Amino acid sequence: MADETPPAANNPYTQTHVVVAGDTLSKIAQKYYGDPSLYTQIFEANKDILKDPNKIFPGQKLKIP
Amino acid sequence: MKKQFVWLLTAMMALLIVGCASQKGPAEQVIAGAETALGAVRDQAQKYVPDQLQAVDAQVQSAKDALAKGDYKAVLAAGPGIMTAISGLKDAASAKAADAEAALSKAKDAWSSVSTDVPKMVDAIQSRVDILSKSHHLPANVSKDSLAAAKSGLDSLKSTWSDASSAASAGDYTGAMAKAQAVKDKAADIMKSLGMTS
Repeated sequence: MADETPPAANNPYTQTHVVVAGDTLSKIAQKYYGDPSLYTQIFEANKDILKDPNKIFPGQKLKIP
Repeated sequence: MKKQFVWLLTAMMALLIVGCASQKGPAEQVIAGAETALGAVRDQAQKYVPDQLQAVDAQVQSAKDALAKGDYKAVLAAGPGIMTAISGLKDAASAKAADAEAALSKAKDAWSSVSTDVPKMVDAIQSRVDILSKSHHLPANVSKDSLAAAKSGLDSLKSTWSDASSAASAGDYTGAMAKAQAVKDKAADIMKSLGMTS
């Protein structure tokens, strides 16, 4: 199956989150979606800068689709 | 003496008839000129300054009535005023046409921008609605009601956006922009209600 471009890509209306110390994708998913299990949505939308969902760094600007 | 008076009266009447006849041609030319000048601006005037056109039409009709009655003097007297009125009509119609052209150009530019923006807003909302619909618990700043309203609002946005696009395709950029602005405002409200603006 061909890779699909996430809808959040290059969309100025997609919300963003700047990673701070202690953040995890699950915590961010909890904050924006109310459900930590939805962290994969954030990971998929940020595959251009994230290689591993467990490795995010302070200062990274993540798209929140 | 009486013979001289009759001769004088006859001469005066002849002069009067010749004088009147000599005014008929110019009077007819006044009407013809007015109708030609008015015909050249009628369509644009009808579109942009219909009330002013109606007033000039009335002036011309009055002169035509005078011509029909043989009152050539009145026609000649009215001529300059009619031509001035037609000139004013032409200027007013041209100015209004230029204003309309400028407004259309502005609406086209605005449409160009909004036609890029709005679909992205709708995509962003759709994406968030889809994800929140999978969530077992909504975030603290989003209620079930606001999510439900966002879902129904999205359908309304898409429908209105479709109308706006159709209007733009038909060349009605002003109407398209009015609809597009409504979509944009509604989309901004939905984004706020879903906590997408913080």
